[in-house]
Amino acid sequence: MNILVGLINGMIAGATPIMLGALGGSFTFYAGVFNIAMEGMMLTGAFCAVWGSYTFHNWFIGILCGIAGSLIMALIFILFAIVLKTDEFITGIALNLFAAGATVYMLRQTFQVKGAFSNPGIIPVPQIHIPLVEKIPILGEILSGQNLIVYIAALSVWFCYWLVFRTRFGLRLRAAGYNAACLESSGVSVSRIRVISLLLCGVLCGLAGAYISLGYVNLFVEGMSAGKGWISLAAIILVNGNPLGIALISLIFGFFDGLGLFLQGTGIAPQFTAMVPYLATLAALFVYSTRKKKRQSVSWT
Amino acid sequence: MIKKLVTGLMGVFIALLLGAVLMLLQGYNPLETYAALFQFSLLRPTPLATTLKNSVPLVLTGLSASIAFASGAINLGQPGQLLMGALAATLGGIYLDLPAPILIPVLLLLGMLGGALWAGLAALLRLAFNMNEFIVTLMLNMIADLFTAWAIAFPFMEKGANSPRTPPVNPAGWIPEIGGINLSVVIMLVAVAVSWFLFNKWKAGYEWRIGGQNSLFARLGGCNTNKNFTAVMLTTGALAGLAGCLIILAGPHRFLRGLGANYAWDGIMVAIVANNGIIATLLYGIFFAAIQTGALGMELVTNVPSEISLVLQAVLVLVIVASRGLLETIVDRWSLRKRVRGPAT
Repeated sequence: MNILVGLINGMIAGATPIMLGALGGSFTFYAGVFNIAMEGMMLTGAFCAVWGSYTFHNWFIGILCGIAGSLIMALIFILFAIVLKTDEFITGIALNLFAAGATVYMLRQTFQVKGAFSNPGIIPVPQIHIPLVEKIPILGEILSGQNLIVYIAALSVWFCYWLVFRTRFGLRLRAAGYNAACLESSGVSVSRIRVISLLLCGVLCGLAGAYISLGYVNLFVEGMSAGKGWISLAAIILVNGNPLGIALISLIFGFFDGLGLFLQGTGIAPQFTAMVPYLATLAALFVYSTRKKKRQSVSWT
Repeated sequence: MIKKLVTGLMGVFIALLLGAVLMLLQGYNPLETYAALFQFSLLRPTPLATTLKNSVPLVLTGLSASIAFASGAINLGQPGQLLMGALAATLGGIYLDLPAPILIPVLLLLGMLGGALWAGLAALLRLAFNMNEFIVTLMLNMIADLFTAWAIAFPFMEKGANSPRTPPVNPAGWIPEIGGINLSVVIMLVAVAVSWFLFNKWKAGYEWRIGGQNSLFARLGGCNTNKNFTAVMLTTGALAGLAGCLIILAGPHRFLRGLGANYAWDGIMVAIVANNGIIATLLYGIFFAAIQTGALGMELVTNVPSEISLVLQAVLVLVIVASRGLLETIVDRWSLRKRVRGPAT
């Protein structure tokens, strides 16, 4: 039973950053922005969160700094892709490069270290213990005692679903991706909708970044987003952006992530266990592609 | 051609200016920094030779990305293909015992084969199961990174080494230097020339380019788009594999840990800045290699950390790409005005 609880908790920990990143990306997906900068936004968020938490000795300011850092990346994306009309794919790649370079540079510049920065001064995001639920035998260990950002992620799923499918903004958001000319001619600025979608993506990716650095490891390592932004992108494509689908597919990816960690104790080489999430992404893409063949798909390339 | 050169140079200039502003904000002297940067990369003979040698992987992976993007194949797998090519060449170099004139070409072929097979896997998944090569190549990058890390840590690890690395390859396979310039630079130039002819003069390259611009038109015109896609993936994979092979044979002569991390996105970066042009890829590849090479020297004479080169590169990419369209309009207008006024005066 302990193994099962461990696996489920590993699944939740692995799923959280992917879920937050993918929910952010789903806004831009619906708005018709080809946004591949989630990886860079998460990485910047992770760095800024550590910086904020260390400088102000406060995890809450750390989260805010992470969101702010990610928002700066979103603003650069807006400047180039929306204002200057640079190709979105190229802007995204350049932003990811920029995030990778800037975090390494800032790591050296502000903390005088190379590679990784860990310090007891970094305050982690706390775990939340829910008073009564905690007492339930097995469920309590899963439902209670998770990291604060995990709960935020779970709430974000419902929030995103509500925003996209139940509000006027959501209707306009989907219209911007479905038929931009039509939306424009009915008097709504498509650019403004896309700007808002990118800002929302920035906030959620910042949270994902804060979780990566302050959630379970409490340090910053160069390139620590490790492809999570790309897996988020794959998740969005697999479920066509639907927030509930994203929650499900993120949990599946998270399960394989947790499984990889779990298998480390079994004598399988660590490199192979670390491969599991990427192989799972390929497998998911395989299932999706073979099932999709009949359906008309949104072209993403 | 001249228009491209002018807009390219203006873009670089604006980007360097913006970089200077960033340095001023950090309290560094930009003139001194740039002087040191280029002194340690382009303006002296020994650093120039190093820059050229360092440009080999950038140019080759850049070529790989340029040809793929221009042909409509979203091959983002250069990092993985580079690693697999490097691993194949290293293993060949450890276990094959041949004289140098035979061994070096064999290892080059092995490297290209390693890269091509890894890219071919993505092509196969696309053709057989309609799996988007964009995501597949990205995931294969991660898998190749972990696979090579395993290969050098367990089955092929040098006995008694402290950190994961393979034993050195057979010295007959080392690529020699002539007159201070590593011969891998010559191999790179040959690859650029062959790619240029293939892409611009041969029928296959024409079909690839048409497929990249309008795949429906290419198919209606009688091109076998699936065959072309496979050929593009294999060719670009081979180029990335060659890059990995040359890194090993010209540099450390063995597969060290973290080999791939340095070249992760460089090829795609160069291809984007060069707008998928082959000659432009060569020039920008050397330019970016100069920034990377000069950064280390710059850190020695000024107190600017070498990591600023990473930021500078990203600024260059964004500014050059964003300003390209704008600058081309300006240059067009300018040359038009000149032409209109020309005969009158």
